[in-house]
Amino acid sequence: MSEPSLSPNGSVPTEPAVPLLELRDIWAAYDSINVLRGVDLVVPEGSVVAVLGPNGAGKTTTLRVAAGLHPCAAGDVLVAGHRVNGARPDELARRGLCLIPEGRGIFPNLTVRENLWMMSHCRRSLKEIEATAFERFPRLKERQTQTAGTLSGGEQQMLAMARGLATEPALLILDELSMGLAPIIVEDLYRLVASVAAEGVSILVVEQFARIVMDVADVAAVMIQGKVVQVGPPKELEETLSQAYLGG
Amino acid sequence: MERSERVEQFKADIAEMGVKDPAAARDRMLLRGSVVLLVAGPVLGIIAYTMSHGTENPLQQRDAIIVALIGLSLAVGGGALFVRYALASFMRFWLARLCWEQQAQTDRVVNALESRGASVDARSSQTVTAP
Repeated sequence: MSEPSLSPNGSVPTEPAVPLLELRDIWAAYDSINVLRGVDLVVPEGSVVAVLGPNGAGKTTTLRVAAGLHPCAAGDVLVAGHRVNGARPDELARRGLCLIPEGRGIFPNLTVRENLWMMSHCRRSLKEIEATAFERFPRLKERQTQTAGTLSGGEQQMLAMARGLATEPALLILDELSMGLAPIIVEDLYRLVASVAAEGVSILVVEQFARIVMDVADVAAVMIQGKVVQVGPPKELEETLSQAYLGG
Repeated sequence: MERSERVEQFKADIAEMGVKDPAAARDRMLLRGSVVLLVAGPVLGIIAYTMSHGTENPLQQRDAIIVALIGLSLAVGGGALFVRYALASFMRFWLARLCWEQQAQTDRVVNALESRGASVDARSSQTVTAP
């Protein structure tokens, strides 16, 4: 067996880390209308990647393709280096790929506790789920017997996140967390996202209001008309973003 | 569970899934099946011919007729399947090309409208600044 070669500084070169999620040249359509036109996106392990762009850029479709909810016409979806095109979304979710959709996806007629109970299918006891959720979101403990539909928008989003985090995701996908919420609530939620990211969860977040995620994201990708036009540190993308939003 | 452990477990779980492209695999299988049927049909026909030719017993000849009819049915069915699945890949390519052309056309229209808008803006600003 041959010895591993050393790099110039004398250390053994390591294999480049396999990204937790990679989209390669993804094309996707609704009927005959192409929405994604060759999207390339990489979410490295333990990082927060923000996908930014104006309405209709294809951000949500990108997330849906990544989560297995929408088929891609061409291209490869790789999770932890394995091609998962055609995998059922529930299979991916059960293994730790969690999507919190736009519109929250909670059961409005069930109480907060019952909504959390629904997540007890995923390897964790109900007590553990409740303990984690109420520790992160003390407000939910106060509202545990209230039906989810009667919660405020921010509380509903907290419940959605609590449900998502109950699955102990390895990869968390967030779609428009700020949708319909007051800025102060959004700041709180993104503070939580930052704390979840600090624990090592890889996060892919789509956000129309770019400023909010700039502080949280390690990498940002700007999408326009179904393509990723630029990827880089958030601070470097401000000009591209203003062009994307204002058409300047 | 430690975070790194969780990530490792996630990677192992995903590796276990071993997802194949179900649609492509099924298409390929049916295409191959159709070729087998296309070959099997005429073969049965030949067998039926030799069966009927080698006997004067009318019962055996009727059996041969039935075998020949089965062969014919297999060949027709195989032919239909072959046309369906051989055409499917071509049709997919054709649809992708159609989508691409439609998108390219939309891009051209958007560019034309943008350049037209820019020239109108330039003209109107000239009109305003003119003495």
